[in-house]
Amino acid sequence: MRFFRLPQLSPSLRKSITLIYHFAERESKSRYKRSLLGWFWSFLNPLVTVGVYWFVFGTIYEAEPPDTSNDNAENFGLYLFTGLIIWSLFTGLVHGSMEWLSSVSDLRKKIYFPTETALLGGAASNLVQTMLEVAVLVTIMTVLSNIGWTLVFLPVAMALALGFGLGLGFIVSVLNTRYRDVKYLVGILLNVAFFAVPIVYTPALLNDEKIPEIAQLIVTWNPVALIIEISRDATYFLQVPLWNRFLVATACSISTFVIGWIFFRHQSMAISEEP
Amino acid sequence: MSGSINARIGSIVVSGMSKRFRLERNRASSLKEAVLRKNRNHQTDEFWALQNINLDVTAGSFFGLIGHNGSGKSTLLRLMAGIHRPTFGSVEASGRLSALLELGSGFHPDLTGRENIFLNGAMLGMTRKQMTASMDDIIDFSGIGDFVDEPVKIYSSGMYVRLGFAVAVNVDPDILLVDEVMAVGDEEFQRKCQKHMDMLRYQGTTIVLVSHNTGLMAACDQVGWLDHGKLLKIGQPDDVVAAYLHSVDSLG
Repeated sequence: MRFFRLPQLSPSLRKSITLIYHFAERESKSRYKRSLLGWFWSFLNPLVTVGVYWFVFGTIYEAEPPDTSNDNAENFGLYLFTGLIIWSLFTGLVHGSMEWLSSVSDLRKKIYFPTETALLGGAASNLVQTMLEVAVLVTIMTVLSNIGWTLVFLPVAMALALGFGLGLGFIVSVLNTRYRDVKYLVGILLNVAFFAVPIVYTPALLNDEKIPEIAQLIVTWNPVALIIEISRDATYFLQVPLWNRFLVATACSISTFVIGWIFFRHQSMAISEEP
Repeated sequence: MSGSINARIGSIVVSGMSKRFRLERNRASSLKEAVLRKNRNHQTDEFWALQNINLDVTAGSFFGLIGHNGSGKSTLLRLMAGIHRPTFGSVEASGRLSALLELGSGFHPDLTGRENIFLNGAMLGMTRKQMTASMDDIIDFSGIGDFVDEPVKIYSSGMYVRLGFAVAVNVDPDILLVDEVMAVGDEEFQRKCQKHMDMLRYQGTTIVLVSHNTGLMAACDQVGWLDHGKLLKIGQPDDVVAAYLHSVDSLG
């Protein structure tokens, strides 16, 4: 006997959900195809990464980690890892979108289906990967007893990164079907952007007269940096994110997603006419 | 596709529809080209594949399309399938639409036959449960046997078509669009297809068939004749086929 019923979805929405599920499954399967350990790699990879950072930045370079409310997890490797989780989610979505769309563009020339499902499915698969990394981080932070109620802001940061990354992904993936150079251009821009975000350095480093004000502004107020700061507040500093940063990040994320979505919906029908 | 509320399931209404393609040679394919192009005074090459098509395929009928190569038959089918968006006018097909447009239509080369069956089914609006239920029928109908768990890129062209057809006809479509594909399978498979299409027709599935085989056209309820993107004639198979053949004859 069933105690509750799922609400009746419209056929087209149900179709989209089935397709999203399918594309997510395909993406996840292909990630560790022909591997014995499968999903275990998803845990091992971030675990080794954080171990290496811990050793390289914490022990060899003795990089100064920013102060936390307690000293339990004051390590540059952990500080870096928290930033890297959000950064990989963001770049994974931007790069992935182009791949996911071009992998179905031939298919789309032969059969109609809502093309955005390929991107949403890929994004879902990436999100699962990110959650595994988060699980590794949260486990480590729990062991080091640097954990608090501020953890609730981490899913918020992930959602903001998802909206911003997917919004940009919608735009660049369509442009990439038209001009194949977009993929390379985006690759270079993201490499540059990596250093515009305080991941391998702390924002405190910017308090220096040598650094032009414009650079300081960019590093402090670009959406990805803001989102990363929120994720660090949640897991590293254990403090409530600054409301003005939170507001700017949310506005950027939502507006980018909406613009990207509209652009994609408007342009993606033309994919079937690309040579 | 948003059919109007009173559109009967299985009907296709094409009204005042035109489709324009831009020719490839005049399109920039790199950013550099696109930027340089800005400075040049280039003429856009347009090609009207279809012009002002008005067509009403009643639910449950068998509709045939004839015309010379390049007359726009396949393009019209693709618009009915929702692959292209009309430049002007509208195409409204209501109900579950299944299409066999070309060799291996809708298959992803890297996925196995089984995975492709699921993917195809999902694109046609079937749930996983429904697809699991009809999986055996599909594999059985296609006759590809154990190959179903191999990637479709290693399939022979015959296997491709057989599996494509098996999926298309076994998802309980309201509308089935077929573009010449049946010519590929062997005699046995062609007969099987013919039998299955007769059955679908009997069940009330709307079928639109593009073919050069004028013999097949005789079985249609209605036939349309496309010529250079225009619908020249539409009506009883005998009349339309005769008019088409006459025009071919007069070309010598």
